Amino acid sequence: MSYIEFEKLNKSFGSNHVLKDISLGVEKGELVTLLGPSGCGKSTLLRCLSGLEQVTSGKVYLDGQDITEVNPRDRGIGMVFQQYSLFPNMNVADNVGFGLKMKKVPKEEAEKKVKDILEIVGLSEKIDQFPMQLSGGQQQRVALARAIVTEPKVLLLDEPLSAIDALLRHNLQIEIRRIQQKLNITTIFVTHDQDEAMVMSDTIHLFNDGRIEQSGSPVDLYSKPATKFAATFIGNYNIFSAEDFGAVCCEKLSCKDVAIRPEIVVMSKQPPKDDGCYHLRGTIVGHISHGNIIRFAAKCGCIRINSDVLFEREMEYKEGDEVYLSIDKSLVIEL
Amino acid sequence: MNKMNKVSANIVMTCIIIWLLIPLVATIIYSMFDNWTGIIPYGFSFKNYETIFGNASFLKAIYQTILICIIPIVLTILVVLLALFVVTIYFPNLEKYVQILCMIPYTIQGVILSVSILALYAKSGTFLSNRLIMLLGTYCVIILPYIYQGIRNSMHAVNMPMLLEAAEMLGASKLYAFFRVIVPNIITGITVSSLLAVGILFGDYVIIRNLSGSAVTNVQVFLYQTMKHSSTEASAVFVVIMLMTFLITALVLYFQSKNKLEQIQKEGR
Repeated sequence: MSYIEFEKLNKSFGSNHVLKDISLGVEKGELVTLLGPSGCGKSTLLRCLSGLEQVTSGKVYLDGQDITEVNPRDRGIGMVFQQYSLFPNMNVADNVGFGLKMKKVPKEEAEKKVKDILEIVGLSEKIDQFPMQLSGGQQQRVALARAIVTEPKVLLLDEPLSAIDALLRHNLQIEIRRIQQKLNITTIFVTHDQDEAMVMSDTIHLFNDGRIEQSGSPVDLYSKPATKFAATFIGNYNIFSAEDFGAVCCEKLSCKDVAIRPEIVVMSKQPPKDDGCYHLRGTIVGHISHGNIIRFAAKCGCIRINSDVLFEREMEYKEGDEVYLSIDKSLVIEL
Repeated sequence: MNKMNKVSANIVMTCIIIWLLIPLVATIIYSMFDNWTGIIPYGFSFKNYETIFGNASFLKAIYQTILICIIPIVLTILVVLLALFVVTIYFPNLEKYVQILCMIPYTIQGVILSVSILALYAKSGTFLSNRLIMLLGTYCVIILPYIYQGIRNSMHAVNMPMLLEAAEMLGASKLYAFFRVIVPNIITGITVSSLLAVGILFGDYVIIRNLSGSAVTNVQVFLYQTMKHSSTEASAVFVVIMLMTFLITALVLYFQSKNKLEQIQKEGR
């Protein structure tokens, strides 16, 4: 049995069946991400683990114990919420020390623990400040410190970075991962941001409509999407029906759909050699800059295919150019 | 806003303030003179104040007024806090019904309320037939809408369910978290509602007169009795009532600002 185990978990809100027979395990010390679009049930699963929601049926085990009916405050779980949920009437020290006070930790020991944890999250100098005086990132770090200072068995992070600007979010992703690894806390992270999931996770469980669509390491999920939904949600796959793609490549494919990552679509102005690739000819119809990568869109017959090219000062391609596209057959994913 | 508009606005505001202060100032002047039947009052003295403060009934009325204000306010705040706690956490769907129930006293006139309560409880033979208990209970009902609305609005501003969940995850019970986390954050709302309630209860004459007769008197009853024999003395009573109300308001606001100041000082460290 895994450290955390969900066994055939179901959760309904009235007639809305949110979680459908979820069974999954999380190993000790792992950082697992529940990834999926809004309303897919990932936060509900987290709340079922925390005890803030009662399950409709199924079991939740933590460290070998059935905690399905255990009160949230007795589960030994720390949680960081999307909106920080810091207590506005308490300063940083009191916020962080709240859980220790509830556990009746002696005052001096609690003060030391608070100072130590604030050191870890880099907020020692903010100890006397109130939440309203802190930036979003600082507030979230206080919330993180508050959740881990009691040394919980599991740390739950419910979209903790979604209210923070991009640069800070990126820094906090790295920071949270560093702290999680340093303290070796089993962590479940909920997000709808696939980049965030890729950066932080040991394992990703991709959710869709109350079910787990696919589970695996970030690399597995990115390189081997198992379903059309997974390919749509992870990465920026080109997804075509096999019929359309076959018509353009003049080949007959046995699958239903194909998924092609934009970075494996090689674009050139010279006719390519026949080297085990699908070859297409098209016209550039647009491009989007992603900083270091330019994503070109080319119209090839009835399909429009994206190709990623590393940024160069002098752009070789422009709209209206006729181009040749080569796609390694072994990298085309049949769905 | 240009300079001309600003000057006009200031003039209008000043006129309004003067207009509102005229009766107040006139009453204060009137209370300090023996007579004011012509244009100029005459016979300046503090005799009226000496008389009323020398009257044990007046001091008793003040003391009773304060008492019958504080008890219902504290009771109502406690009841409303607990009711809102239960409704918000366990029965959020019922909140609209609770709100309707709490708003009903708005629509009932004092005379009707007091007569109804007398008819219901005066001959019940239980402790509820006690005049003071009836009065305090009625006051609780009268101030319920003001206290409820003030506290409810403050609670909605602090996202109570989310904070309670956070506290619960840290090992606190819901009730502990409510009083330790939520109540300190809505203290301003509680204060404002209480001040409103003080204003209403201080100004009551009809209910106390109907329900308690001569058993309990407040400053309004004393004021009415004084008016019968001396209008200048009555003015002095009015001025004292007004100053008391100001004093209570100032004290509450002072303690509130003191808390804020302490908070700012902490923040500044």
